Amino acid sequence: MKPPPFAYARAESLEHALTLLDEAGEDAKVLAGGQSLVPLLAYRLARPTHLIDIGRLPGLDTMRSDDTGLVVGGLVRHHELERSAVLTGPWQVLREAAGLIGHHPIRIRGTFAGSLAHADPAAELPVAATALDASFTVRSTGGDRVIPAAEFFVGPFMTVLEPAEIVVDGRFPAPPAGLRSAFAEFSPRAGDFAFVAVAVAVALDDGGRVRHARIVLGCVGALPLRAGEAEDELMGSALTEQAIDAAARAAAAGCDPVDGPHASATFRRELVAVLVGRTLRRLREDHP
Amino acid sequence: MTRVRGLVGADVERLADLPLLTGAARYVADVHRDGEVHARIVRSQVAHARIVGIDTADAEAVPGVLAVITADDLPDVRIPIRLPLADTPRARRVLQPPLARGVVRYVGEPIAVVVATDAYVAEDAAELVDVDLDDLDVVAEVATAADPGMPVLHPDLGDNIVSSYPLHHGDVDAAFARADVVVRERLRMHRHTAVPMETRGAIAEVDPATGRLTLWGGAKVKHAVRAALGEMLSMEPADIRIVEVNVGGGFGVRGEAYPEDYLVAFLALRLRRPVKWIEDRTEHFVATNHAREQEHELEIAATADGRLLAFRDRAWCDQGAYARSQGTLPELLPALHLPGPYRWEAFALETTGVLTNRTPVGTYRGPGMTEAAFVRERLLDVLAGRLGLDPAELRRRNLIRDDDLPFTWSLGAGSAPVPPISYQSGAFCSSFETLLERAGYDELRREAATRSGDTISVGVGVATYVEVGAMGPFEDARIAPAADGSFVVHVGVASLGQGVETVLAQIAGDELGVPMDRLRVDHHDTDAVPMGFGAFASRSTPVAGNAVLLAARDLRTKAAKLLGAEPDDVEFRDGHVHGPGGASCPVQDVGEGRGRFDKPHPTFSFGAALSVVEVERDTGRVRVVRHVVVHDVGRAVNPALVRGQLAGAASQGIGAALLEELSYDERAQPMATTLGDYRLPSAGELPDIEVIVLEHPAPGNPLGAKGAGESGMVGTPAAVANAVADALGATGPQVTTLPLTADRVRALLREAT
Amino acid sequence: MTWIGEDDSAAVDVVVNGRPTAMRVPARRTLADALRDDGLTGTHLGCEHGVCGACTVLLDGRPVRSCLTLAVQAEGADVETVEGMAEGPELHVLQRAFHENGALQCGFCTPGFLMLALGLLRAEPEAPPERVREVLTSNLCRCTGGGPIVQAVLAAQRELAGDVA
Ligand SMILES: Cc1cc2nc3c(=O)[nH]c(=O)nc-3n(C[C@H](O)[C@H](O)[C@H](O)COP(=O)(O)OP(=O)(O)OC[C@H]3O[C@@H](n4cnc5c(N)ncnc54)[C@H](O)[C@@H]3O)c2cc1C
Ligand code: FES
Ligand code: FES
Repeated sequence: MKPPPFAYARAESLEHALTLLDEAGEDAKVLAGGQSLVPLLAYRLARPTHLIDIGRLPGLDTMRSDDTGLVVGGLVRHHELERSAVLTGPWQVLREAAGLIGHHPIRIRGTFAGSLAHADPAAELPVAATALDASFTVRSTGGDRVIPAAEFFVGPFMTVLEPAEIVVDGRFPAPPAGLRSAFAEFSPRAGDFAFVAVAVAVALDDGGRVRHARIVLGCVGALPLRAGEAEDELMGSALTEQAIDAAARAAAAGCDPVDGPHASATFRRELVAVLVGRTLRRLREDHP
Repeated sequence: MTRVRGLVGADVERLADLPLLTGAARYVADVHRDGEVHARIVRSQVAHARIVGIDTADAEAVPGVLAVITADDLPDVRIPIRLPLADTPRARRVLQPPLARGVVRYVGEPIAVVVATDAYVAEDAAELVDVDLDDLDVVAEVATAADPGMPVLHPDLGDNIVSSYPLHHGDVDAAFARADVVVRERLRMHRHTAVPMETRGAIAEVDPATGRLTLWGGAKVKHAVRAALGEMLSMEPADIRIVEVNVGGGFGVRGEAYPEDYLVAFLALRLRRPVKWIEDRTEHFVATNHAREQEHELEIAATADGRLLAFRDRAWCDQGAYARSQGTLPELLPALHLPGPYRWEAFALETTGVLTNRTPVGTYRGPGMTEAAFVRERLLDVLAGRLGLDPAELRRRNLIRDDDLPFTWSLGAGSAPVPPISYQSGAFCSSFETLLERAGYDELRREAATRSGDTISVGVGVATYVEVGAMGPFEDARIAPAADGSFVVHVGVASLGQGVETVLAQIAGDELGVPMDRLRVDHHDTDAVPMGFGAFASRSTPVAGNAVLLAARDLRTKAAKLLGAEPDDVEFRDGHVHGPGGASCPVQDVGEGRGRFDKPHPTFSFGAALSVVEVERDTGRVRVVRHVVVHDVGRAVNPALVRGQLAGAASQGIGAALLEELSYDERAQPMATTLGDYRLPSAGELPDIEVIVLEHPAPGNPLGAKGAGESGMVGTPAAVANAVADALGATGPQVTTLPLTADRVRALLREAT
Repeated sequence: MTWIGEDDSAAVDVVVNGRPTAMRVPARRTLADALRDDGLTGTHLGCEHGVCGACTVLLDGRPVRSCLTLAVQAEGADVETVEGMAEGPELHVLQRAFHENGALQCGFCTPGFLMLALGLLRAEPEAPPERVREVLTSNLCRCTGGGPIVQAVLAAQRELAGDVA
């Protein structure tokens, strides 16, 4: 389980990284935290010709939030998200999601953009980001693109990223007033990839009725799945037991997970209902 | 008569922890020999195929590659069976060649070996070995493996059956005819295995001057590995030296003779350079022995008042694609353990070892007994449910009574020749009561009932068993005094992390009356210890320990003779032996103490487990919230170490019951080849294990020890399964297979509604 | 800086256990292998895919999997391994606690757990027991199951905090 050969360069700046990427051609890859790429190398499932190390680029490892929203730098580590004092209320889902990624040492190395670019269908952050209507800033020597999460992921381990592009940050628009969010998952052991993950964000109007709802499911398809019917169930109604149950049922009915050796489709669908229900109840109880 | 110096029976600190704590310990991957080169095994990616051709040219062309070998480069040899007890003519026909010859029979079977100057380069080159395979149909499950019409793995065997062990006791048909109740189930224990944290490895070197071969890395049964290598390499065993280094866990799978041990030795002889092979983790999951997979059709007959009458069992035990060094043990051991600690009037059982296109099966901690305990104890709980009887009460009414011991099953005509199933000592009923009492069984039952609700169901489960241990045939020990007043104990067991050095030093020190820091235990090298049978079947303390005790007595007697004193009156101190009245002489004048302990028949000992689980009903997640194990160890030389062993084994049993599984798909492709897919429990999935150590000394051995290394395992999967079944309710669908993953538990709950 | 070719070796300057060290490594060599080649074989490899934690070292004070870190990525970094834990013959509090609490049997997982715990107790000396247990689920111990390791780390934490156990 030793990595295959590749050429390596450490980028000194973002511009440098982009130039190196251009130079190195189609089969080059950037290396950020290495927590997904290095295992792939060890299994010899990835064979990049070149690795461009962006792990210590200055400027990409910060978070800032103001009334236009939240910006998370591509190199922010999972453990920083997990312990960030900023990520509460509307952004809570990011903090909870990050805390459920792998184990402590993995979260110390793994990066926000790395997780998005890797696009594992069982990854937490793509699900959480989708629930917050995030967009990703993507840069190449040709310039910037801003790609909404809903368009960024196109399949298991597949995104619209071009080989010479780097994810620079994630942008989270100013939330609707009163937005609260939460994350839940079921994994067989502490730190395992989840069987089902659920991100929920809701905002209520003055009458306590849902006026904004995002329910996004992970691990039940090729990419983060918006449970549109479940969201519709909630819109306009209070977070009553009946509304929550209806949304949980709709979320389960609206997804089509596959049978796997470790979790059957039926089981995953049951978990969707359980986790959507639990998360909505938690949001209701945490902030009555 | 044991001299009371308090070493035996005390929680003496483990020797040899220091290098483990500071990183100074040397495991096989840490051994470096000058000029060493690295071997990488090319393994089959398919489960069953004819080898049409192997093209090694591209691999050979990689700079740094020294050799690429296939079966054509090897003599036609097989890895022999090490235990006469498990060696049969049919098993001998399905032994594994070190590299596949003509046919591959499981995913992971070695096909070729690449040797290069660097491990990374060896792996690069191994990928370039081009193997042309013609797929054959596969046998992917144990239950149908022996059916007519299935592909036959080894054509000259005629079918896929390795061996069968029928055992009969009493008149089964008559007992069933009298029964008020008969319960039957098809029960399945799943494939899982030891997965020590250190993978296997070996490094072989030939002394250019003498031609002698040294192999580092073998542990457990060094002398057997040496004999096997000698036979396969056509060398005198005396020309082979096996050196044990630190070992990162064995649990039964490490240290048998494996294909790779032969291959590195062969390559070192051929290349005249040290050859090193370190298994990687994905290899480990297909290359190192698997264990446990069996299906049983079991039925139990009982009276309405809960008296067990008889059982019938028909079992299929997976051998995988070949019989390895442990021969027929995968089917022999469950046969010996099915009757367990109960008073059956009669039983009839037959265990059959079958071949499938999957990794070969060997022994893993509590082999055969864990499987037997699971099927028997599970069905007993089904019976208890049917009778409306508390499961503990059912056992209480049927355990062999304390004053019925010793107890031997008489086996009737048609039974296979097996070692006597004989329970020499112990106190089954009172030991079981101790467990119930200390765990607070009645209170636990009441709590379970009150705490169970819509979201959580609480269940309590128990299981009892007898365990074979202390297998012979014998062990030799030698104690050599040194000028500085210290003593070296030479003995042929193996240290696999169990703390055996500490225990053996305690025994010697206790008898000689010298403190721990004056004692050294040497078991690492086959040169220093010419004979030994190794560490298996919980034998190190009861067999080697007694040999050490006898050697220490011998030394004491010799010293006494020299001084003309009574053995009890001499004292070992300051490099001298002192007798009464001031007589003394240098301890080296006494010579060596020698001891040999023969153990013609294994010892059976009793144990039980109790588990309390919580089942989260909507997700199916099972949490073991309490787990208590009790075992009669005969004599605990070091109670703290024994408790650690039992707790560790129980942790593994909980992993087996809930998480770990080596599943295969219908093409016999393995589904768990990483530590992400093969789920070992972490501290997050385990409760703190409670251990009760009981001591009913074994007769016929001066120490009284029985063996304990495996026992925390044996009853654990059964107890956890029974607890989950209890949580789910006796009336619903039955728990008949493991592991009880959340997915499986949900399926059971769905079925129930 | 320019490319290190796939057949080239690079000079990597790191401080290992306080000692400035120049390693020469191919680009693809993992930090674990590089340390081990340097004689620091206390860092063990149990899986090489990030799950077991036997290879845990401190990189700039934080526990990381050295099997998932390339040696070249450690350029300029401070690396601590189990070999640097004891002060001469004086064992670290954690090492002693492991010995006293039955937290090791075969010892293969021990260096990784020690480094994991060291990183945790340094960054979060007051971590509550649930947090300690949660972080310790990062690594695997097949011999003890991990419970005694949790107890050992909690005992060391108490001792470091100055409490008399
Ligand atoms: C044992 C273990 C358990 C894990 N469990 C989980 C889990 O439960 N959930 C989970 O989500 N993840 C899990 N991970 C993966 C971990 O979260 C990774 O950190 C993450 O997926 C990738 O981040 P990274 O920075 O390490 O990326 P890398 O491994 O460096 O890169 C991953 C991929 O993304 C590309 N990439 C990286 N950064 C960028 C960028 N800025 N722009 C463009 N492309 C980029 C790389 O080229 C590569 O293809 C686990 C990993 C391990 C080893
Ligand atoms: S060897 Fe690095 S985590 Fe297992
Ligand atoms: S002590 Fe053996 S793996 Fe932990």
